[in-house]
Amino acid sequence: MPRHTHIVKVHHLSLAFPTRHDPNPEPVLKDIDFGIRDGEILGLIGNSGSGKTMTAMAIAGLLPEGAVITEGSIKFAGEDLTAMKPRRRRQMLGSNIGVIFQEPSTALDPLMKIGTNLDEILLTHGMKDKAERRKRVLEMLGTCGFADPEEIYSRYPHQLSGGQRQRVLIAGAALLEPRLLICDEPTSSLDTVTTIQILNLLKEICHKMHMTVLFISHDLSAVRNFCDRVMVMRGGEIVDRDTTQEMLLHPRSGYTAELLTNARLDTRMLGLERATVDYSASPVLVARDITARYDNSSSNVLKGASLEIYPREMLGLIGSSGCGKTTLVKTLLGLMPHGGSITCSDKQTGAVFQDPVSCLNPAHTIEWHLLEPLRAAGIKLTKEERRKRVASALQDVGMSPEYLSRKPRQLSGGQRQRIAIAMSLILEPSLIVADEPFSSLDSSSASEILKLLTDINRERGTSFLLITHNIHIVRQICPRVIVMDKGSVCEEGLTSEVLSDPKSDAARKLLHAESVLHGENYSE
Amino acid sequence: MSLNTRQNLKYAGLKFIELIATLFVVSFLTFAAFSIIPGDTAQIMLGPNASPEQVARLRTELGLDQPLPVRYITWVAGAFTGNLGDSSSFKVPVISLIAQRLPVTLGMSILALIMVIAVSYPLSVFSARRPGRIGDTICSILGHVLFAIPPFVLSLLLIVLASGVLHIFTMGKYAPPEKGFGNYIASLALPAFAIALPKIAMTFKFMRSAIIEQNASEYVKTERSHGLSEARIFLRHVLPNSNVSSITIITLVLSDILGGSLIVEQVFNLPGLGRLLLTAIDRRDFPLMSGMIFYLALITVILYFVSDILASIADPRIRLK
Amino acid sequence: MQSKASSFRARTFFITGAVFLGIVLLAFVMSLICSPYDPNATSAREILLPPSGAHLFGTDNFGRDVFSRILDASKYTIFISIAGVAIALFLGVLSGLPAGYFGGFPDRVIMLFNNSIMCFPGILLALVAVAVFGPSMFNVVWALGLVFAPTFARVCRAGAMELKTRDFIMHAKVMRVKPVRIMYSHILPNLMPQLLPATVIGLANMTLFESGMSYLGLGVQPPDASFGKMLADCKAYVLTAPWLVIFPSLMLIFYILGLYFLSEGIRVSYSGRSDS
Repeated sequence: MPRHTHIVKVHHLSLAFPTRHDPNPEPVLKDIDFGIRDGEILGLIGNSGSGKTMTAMAIAGLLPEGAVITEGSIKFAGEDLTAMKPRRRRQMLGSNIGVIFQEPSTALDPLMKIGTNLDEILLTHGMKDKAERRKRVLEMLGTCGFADPEEIYSRYPHQLSGGQRQRVLIAGAALLEPRLLICDEPTSSLDTVTTIQILNLLKEICHKMHMTVLFISHDLSAVRNFCDRVMVMRGGEIVDRDTTQEMLLHPRSGYTAELLTNARLDTRMLGLERATVDYSASPVLVARDITARYDNSSSNVLKGASLEIYPREMLGLIGSSGCGKTTLVKTLLGLMPHGGSITCSDKQTGAVFQDPVSCLNPAHTIEWHLLEPLRAAGIKLTKEERRKRVASALQDVGMSPEYLSRKPRQLSGGQRQRIAIAMSLILEPSLIVADEPFSSLDSSSASEILKLLTDINRERGTSFLLITHNIHIVRQICPRVIVMDKGSVCEEGLTSEVLSDPKSDAARKLLHAESVLHGENYSE
Repeated sequence: MSLNTRQNLKYAGLKFIELIATLFVVSFLTFAAFSIIPGDTAQIMLGPNASPEQVARLRTELGLDQPLPVRYITWVAGAFTGNLGDSSSFKVPVISLIAQRLPVTLGMSILALIMVIAVSYPLSVFSARRPGRIGDTICSILGHVLFAIPPFVLSLLLIVLASGVLHIFTMGKYAPPEKGFGNYIASLALPAFAIALPKIAMTFKFMRSAIIEQNASEYVKTERSHGLSEARIFLRHVLPNSNVSSITIITLVLSDILGGSLIVEQVFNLPGLGRLLLTAIDRRDFPLMSGMIFYLALITVILYFVSDILASIADPRIRLK
Repeated sequence: MQSKASSFRARTFFITGAVFLGIVLLAFVMSLICSPYDPNATSAREILLPPSGAHLFGTDNFGRDVFSRILDASKYTIFISIAGVAIALFLGVLSGLPAGYFGGFPDRVIMLFNNSIMCFPGILLALVAVAVFGPSMFNVVWALGLVFAPTFARVCRAGAMELKTRDFIMHAKVMRVKPVRIMYSHILPNLMPQLLPATVIGLANMTLFESGMSYLGLGVQPPDASFGKMLADCKAYVLTAPWLVIFPSLMLIFYILGLYFLSEGIRVSYSGRSDS
């Protein structure tokens, strides 16, 4: 194997936030030592707080205020970045090092047109001719997959979708063909199909412009088919590094293995077992020809969607973003005016939503949360009965009674999601609608919640409508699946049949995105 | 391009409808306030010693014997054509009284606004560049203290300082603009300063936090990663974004200045609208009172309308709301 | 580390605010139990006496004891500000929460009225009310309450609009919690970080307005003492008897400044909490 030339060489780097009170705090980065080879795509994996973003920002020279490099050096093409004058350092940014951030919705100046914003980069780096700048920007927008660059040039950021904004940001970062592109979780806030488009775009322009990429992600599957090499970080240290293939097949560190297991959500390993469904029983919920629209739009978001959910069933609902999944959930839960008919055998339907941050009321205790459904349903209980019921609900979701007096902000995301489930369970509904309950959780909490849901399904016979973008989960635990596209149900059937032989375009597209992202052998 | 223009016009149209609706409510509130006076308006205006004939004559004169809706329509129509009838105590048209006093109040307000912008803007930029440093801390504490001094107390202090100690100002000496613009400004400078000081503190506090907030936003990070200099990021990105919120605060300040000038005029013995209003209240001159209040509210309504339009030009996102 | 700095800042604000407010509250308590002289008793022989052992803050042009009058005035100032803000808060919450929560037509009507009230600059509306209904403390209180209500309504409306899209409110709707309970039990407690500082600032602004109106002779009515009226009456003696200006001004400023610092402390401690 020939010796690679390194474009970036990080040499025993340590970083900390010293203050007046504490001049020698625990370092955030501890003796980081690695190189990025010329032309490679290097993945940097780790949970939040592992130091991966801090490492990238140290290379870019965009460390937050107060961060101090206590030891070590960073060399870029032989030049020491840590010893460089601020002015020279700034010139490097944009021209030699490009950066793409995670949140495309806030990463663009809202008052500046896209064209003006990109034009400014060229101007800053000394391109004087106005017509030439415009030509270059339009060319770059074209390269980044915009069919009509002129149109985008005069748009404001708020007039673009999340994926489009991310492409504009890529255009900005790659405009001067930098040698190194740092991508800090560029796809974390995008849906699966858009993620694929963005990753493909990145791959394409890297190849075209001979760029080296440092790709940061908390999601192992995103790097799987994208990176040449992967490094795993934990607690400010690099715990594992290898080529992507080696890493995924034979993880050397126990931590990497753990990350891999959690990411796979392996049903056998988690011991998931769902209830058996009797499809001849009468359904718990029947929805026919549901139509719905939002106040400010003239066209329907839902165009006649129909479905039924049987007792003890775990029904999966998949579809790309914008297909009307969330709107359907809202209508089924009675949160939106709609056309068509919904008949439900039970007055009360439980609900679990996506965001563990906002699923609980920050002003109230956990006990208040668990009592609220009883109050709302008008159930009068004695003090003793209330106490018992609340304690047992908490136990059902695997939490101890000590949490009763806590406020939501003292709980982790997974714990909050458990409380939300307990709030639904306390009224013993026959159906719980779960809208993306795992997607905002880290993989280990997600697998625990998944296990909790299947346990409830098996032990209590509660039906579930599970909305998720994770086809892998549907494959593992849902016997039947519904695929939505453009406001109606485009395919419906047994999961094994639909996912092995999709009939509709939408289902085929979703499956393709999954296989590109997670690899062929992922499902086995 | 045409999309943006269309959104602009649509937004301006909606705001105009809102303006008309607000004007309707404002005129109604003003009219209603003076129509629900407990007791006989004419009797109150003339005092307890008036003869029944005098009261009856004033009732006819004011149109009080007509039904309420007719009176409202007459009044609103008059208000928009500049014909609000005669003041009952001065016996001259209300509109001419207002026109006569306007230069004092308007000049003072505009002068105060200029002072607010000229001082608070540079100070907040200076403070927000390095929050927590000694200069910023001093400015912030000074801001709090100034904010807490009632305008009339500040006026008293300034009068003592300027006319009692420094002898650079004569109380109650107002020079109308016809007799030299310089003297006019000089006679209004001190009262304007008294109004401006607390507003400077208010604007400073608001602008400072707006700039700090913008400085911490994500797009600043993006611009840094593009290699832009800090000065350029500040001038081209942070400042325009902070300006959007500063339009709101300046409007608020201007409306506060108009209201606050009433008291300060009284302290400085200036013959402005504030004095006129107090005289009207004192003499129970209801036509004069209602006319002045309606016109002051009208100015504010238009002010808010202009500010909304300016904000929508500065920030394209507002048009979509 | 950041929250440590912000809790230090919050504590500094709280302590300074408490010291200033403490002085005024002490005066309030003293006015109730141990005022040295009758605040309204005139004495022809003791006109414009400078501060001394017998008259701590001197006497005014009617020979009234300034110290006793200041104690009395602080009583009215505190009463009017609290009563006025209570009315404003009540009206503001009552109109702002439904406007934000329901949106649409009710929102438009409620906000049209709120905006219209805000279009009468400063103390104008309160002046009119007092001019029409006659000057009395009661009229000042409700008029100022009405003038301040839109400020609170705006805070409540904005908060309700933002919170109603959160998952926990959707969850409450799914559980069929009644709208009134959602507004007052689910949303309102979450608005405290905005509402609490706004209330304290409201007390300060209310005092600014009340003292201004009293200065014009349209607030607290003589012979009752008020800081505004005391300052208006002493205009002729500014240079000859400065104690007449200094002590009432200082008390007024202490009260307002104390409230500002308190509200700033509340704001900083809330924002520090969300950081961590």
